[in-house]
Amino acid sequence: MLFGLPNPRNPRLQLLKNVVLFKDLSMRDLAMVDGLMHAREYLADEVIFDEGEEGQGLFVVLSGRVKITLPASANNLLLDLGPGAFFGEVALLDQSVRTAQARAVEDTQIVALFRAEFYSLLETHSAIASRISFQLARVLAARLRQAVVNAEQHHQAT
Amino acid sequence: MNRALASGPIVWLGIIIATCLLLVLFQTVLWLVMPVLLAVVAYYMLSPLVNVAIARGITRARAVFIVTALLTIFLVAIGLIVAPKISRASSNWKNKVGGYADSGVKLIANAQTTLEKMVPFVHRPAAPPETGKAKGGAAAAPESKPTPATAAADEAKENAAATEALDEKVATFTEQHSGDVALELARWIPSLLLVPYITYFFLLDGPRFKRFLVQAIPNAFFEKTLYLFYRIEDQMRRYFQGLLTMTALDALCLGTGFWFLGLNAPFFLAGLAAVMAWLPYLGSIGGGLLVVLVAAHDFPGNYWLPYEVVGLFIGVRLLDDFVFMPLTVGRSLHMHPLVTVLMILLGGAVAGIAGLLLVMPVLGVVMVAGQIIGELITDERILARYRHARHLKRLRARTDLYMEG
Repeated sequence: MLFGLPNPRNPRLQLLKNVVLFKDLSMRDLAMVDGLMHAREYLADEVIFDEGEEGQGLFVVLSGRVKITLPASANNLLLDLGPGAFFGEVALLDQSVRTAQARAVEDTQIVALFRAEFYSLLETHSAIASRISFQLARVLAARLRQAVVNAEQHHQAT
Repeated sequence: MNRALASGPIVWLGIIIATCLLLVLFQTVLWLVMPVLLAVVAYYMLSPLVNVAIARGITRARAVFIVTALLTIFLVAIGLIVAPKISRASSNWKNKVGGYADSGVKLIANAQTTLEKMVPFVHRPAAPPETGKAKGGAAAAPESKPTPATAAADEAKENAAATEALDEKVATFTEQHSGDVALELARWIPSLLLVPYITYFFLLDGPRFKRFLVQAIPNAFFEKTLYLFYRIEDQMRRYFQGLLTMTALDALCLGTGFWFLGLNAPFFLAGLAAVMAWLPYLGSIGGGLLVVLVAAHDFPGNYWLPYEVVGLFIGVRLLDDFVFMPLTVGRSLHMHPLVTVLMILLGGAVAGIAGLLLVMPVLGVVMVAGQIIGELITDERILARYRHARHLKRLRARTDLYMEG
């Protein structure tokens, strides 16, 4: 709806509340963030983004499933993501290219938070944006830790 | 997108053609384009204030309402202050225009006389004496050499005749066109009243309208389109904010200069000249001419004042071109100076004054859109993804359509 009033019982808000990035936000703050997001629907097997593309923002899975695969190998599955998961988060921080491909495994609903809109959130609602940034930093730190552990295990194995 | 978008000649040709077509279209609906353009300027001027208000915990709707209400009050107050002055001035504007034109002619005549005194070889040859006899007649008496006194008297006569002729022309022109000007003003005022209204909705519903437009974009083009919107908005914001900053700097420099020179209403004149400079080249010349005429009219005894004003204008113009412009508007468009000049000339040729005024912002937007659309339609992978998604949709639509057996 273009000029309608926001619905306080928006089911999308309930779904977003379960996303790790937004777990520190109140429903009011979440409604503010939701107002910046773009909803998309993908059919099963539709590509969401390709490796090598310039990323513009992060995607959150609302329903359905998304697989993240490494380039040049559709079977090399990195992640299989369901409702509440998010991907492409590095593009929220800088203008880097996507390092993997994202493809809908089944009919999928996602919402996208564009980098420029996240930056505007930092300006207008810095408290909300800093809570999201803090959660994002925690997620990235956990992934880095896991990557270091994996590298060590690989090193010991060889 | 860090790397500069490199467009080929075909994309650039498309950009130029699209810009010209848009300028022609905009010229036909100028009554609508102008309030929208002014609303866009007001939007970029006010959106930082709205953001500040939102950051302080006010809802967007309330922040937009407060800021737009303040703008309206400000404009009404300006109107209430200026309208009586304009009304008073308009009652004798025919005389005033004549007075300014008269001062201009005197200034030119003085300049010519001074130049002739300073540089002898530019001295005009004296007009041949009117003997009343046929030219080349055998009985023509040998011409007597004019004395300096008679030459000066002739010059004074010529100047007086030229001034009189110009006064007549100005009087006839104002007589003929005063009705047209009043009608034109009456036609523009209602559309200009739309400016605060359009600004209000730009501020309130701009982000929602963007999302509404993005919804119509196919998935394959989604991220690129988001980027396109961002680039266009960024381009327009930087252009208009740059333009406003440059106007303020120009007005400040000129106003300070006029104040030092002792002109009446220095900052009003400076503001007027700075706003007129929005019209590339012609606007600057027009603004300069206006102030020179005012200086010549208000201080007829101060012979050097108009020249000092011209000097000040040239100084500020240089500051503009080499300091202010690269720091403000120039940064926003990243355009080659030759392309800028050619496009301004082309804009003027296809859409007149409106084209001159609109060519840069229109070109800025079309350039970004053209570059990204050019990139999209030549990206085989994105096109393949689009076709793949359509194929999936068609398959889905056909599911269970045909019964087997």
